[in-house]
Amino acid sequence: MPLVVVCYKWVLDEADIRINADLSIDLSKAKGKISDYDKNAIEAAVQAAAALNGKVAGLTFGTADAKPSLKDALSRGMDEAWYINEPQASQADGAGTARVLAAAIKKMADVSLIICAEGASDTYARQTGPRIGALLDLPVVTSVGKLEISGNTLIATRVLDDCLQKVKVELPAVVAVLPEITSAPIPGLKAVLAAGKKPVTELKAQDLGVDLTPKSRVTEIKGYMMDRKNIIFNEGETAERVNNLVAALRKEGVV
Amino acid sequence: MSNEDKFDVIIVGAGPAGSACAYTLAKAGKNVLVIERGDTPGCKNVTGGRLYTYALEMLEQGLFEEAALERRVTHEEIMIISGDRAVTIDFNQPGFNPDSGAPMSFTVLRAVFDEWLAAKAEEMGAIVACGIKVDQLIEQNGKIVGVIAGEDEMYADIVIAADGVNSFMAQQAGLIQDIVAKTVGVGVKEVIELPAKTIEERFNLKAGEGAARMILGCTEGIHGGGFLYTNKDSISLGCVFMPGEAAQHKKSVHEIFQDLKLHPAILPLIDGGETVEYSAHLVSEAGYRGIHPRLYREGFLMIGDAAGFVINTGYSIRGIDLAIVSGIAAARAVIAHGDNLAAVGPNYMQELIHLKLIPTMKAADGYFDILETPWIYDKLPNLANDVFNNLFTVNGEVPQRMKDTVMGAIKANGLSLWQLLKLGIKGVKSL
Repeated sequence: MPLVVVCYKWVLDEADIRINADLSIDLSKAKGKISDYDKNAIEAAVQAAAALNGKVAGLTFGTADAKPSLKDALSRGMDEAWYINEPQASQADGAGTARVLAAAIKKMADVSLIICAEGASDTYARQTGPRIGALLDLPVVTSVGKLEISGNTLIATRVLDDCLQKVKVELPAVVAVLPEITSAPIPGLKAVLAAGKKPVTELKAQDLGVDLTPKSRVTEIKGYMMDRKNIIFNEGETAERVNNLVAALRKEGVV
Repeated sequence: MSNEDKFDVIIVGAGPAGSACAYTLAKAGKNVLVIERGDTPGCKNVTGGRLYTYALEMLEQGLFEEAALERRVTHEEIMIISGDRAVTIDFNQPGFNPDSGAPMSFTVLRAVFDEWLAAKAEEMGAIVACGIKVDQLIEQNGKIVGVIAGEDEMYADIVIAADGVNSFMAQQAGLIQDIVAKTVGVGVKEVIELPAKTIEERFNLKAGEGAARMILGCTEGIHGGGFLYTNKDSISLGCVFMPGEAAQHKKSVHEIFQDLKLHPAILPLIDGGETVEYSAHLVSEAGYRGIHPRLYREGFLMIGDAAGFVINTGYSIRGIDLAIVSGIAAARAVIAHGDNLAAVGPNYMQELIHLKLIPTMKAADGYFDILETPWIYDKLPNLANDVFNNLFTVNGEVPQRMKDTVMGAIKANGLSLWQLLKLGIKGVKSL
């Protein structure tokens, strides 16, 4: 039976992340969640599996903190989940992440489609999909807003700056999908209950024989704030104030 | 109906009542499903709040030691505000936090506590499903037999409503009417973050110790009052108002609350803090009289706020402990009589008496009448401050006699000695 693999990432909820006055980042209050874009990707995988008459396997690479993701992910219609539980995940770069995911996918049988979100909601590095494709030597289609599957052929509509591009590939393939691919419905009661009974395969990176030494490292994370000039033009008559404003804008080179 | 769609018990709501009930049932081997509307337990909650530890001890001895609690309350405070003045009584009892055994009460942040308690229930084997709203009860042959959530039906021998004040489940079961404005208050609350050390300095606390403060006279004469609880590294500050009176008041509830924050006796306590949460909720105010006349029907029980289990004495508010106790009572009734569903409801009522919940609420019933007295929300706080004002005024004039001072202040506030005596007598008689 054809298998659709959907990769997802457990990220910190950006709503809980706070930027301190000194621009340092406070993550202490942040809870985890499945990256928002990945929720759409999961639903796209469920729909693709229906079209292929196949099944869906979720795949995630994360630290022990990512464990709660499994229940949520499995309640979203996938049939099984693969969880690469690895402390090094927090330091992994795009290459390492893709190597782990690709190695896990190699262990799965009859994979006909691999779906990733275009990027994760925390880093949005847009590397995972293309790198998995390269490692598995499969065709890759990115920025996909629509998927149509007929038989073994996939027609993906790529959303570009000002035009839509249709790409035809033979499966198996890797697609990186945009959030507009489909909405992500909130799981119902029975789906949530069923999630607890679905199979989970838990592995370590070393079970997959993958070297995770990152070649790119995050050296600093800092908040940024827009510097504002805070000038108020309140001197003189209205016409004069407008003139002063325009003159100031000209000086800045913005008009 | 397959086996997968049937539980022994379905509990609607993963607050302290629901989770305590689920914990007790699951521990006894019952197949329990808890359905919570919020994405996480406690995320919809507003309570101040404070937990009296005896309830957790009743649930499982020693459980409090690993519970997600904030500070052990050793300072019980009452603050009476009038204008920019304030009288504060601070009862410091280190014995409330004994060297061995359980402290009497803790401050809690419900978003943290509820999630912890629900996780404990899960550890015992209960299934907690979050992010799901129950839309309807399923009724068959006059019995409640399950719930409908979205497109899914789920069945159980007993459905327990732990869905809080204004329980939608109890309304569905036909046991309560839509909410009556007179029986509830509307509460607003902010959680204001401050470093733990700052809180300890400002409230004279040792590390880990906390203060609980009730505030009278901060509602511009509206029936209600304020509360303040010190958490580990935040302060919960809030106000409760009777909605009917608040609606007719010229200032909004929010504005009155902001004035409280700026009060010269409150501002220094919260100064420099950052508001990280603002919320509003209903709270049951009628005490013993607010307990719904029928708390069960066949296949259905109500616990916690849904049943109306809140005590407000004016000097303390209890709700979380009563919720936990009622959850335990319901679980015990189900465990004892699961094979005879008709007996569960009556047995639940007996357990509520046996666990002293109903008698406790009855004993506190008189406070409701006292708190109904309209002038205790403005004239009485003013009187108290006037008396202290005269007591501590030294300006070279011949001081008034104490009796004249007090009588003058009573008169100046439009009250009479008779009214105060009557309140006193009412107090002595009803409490």
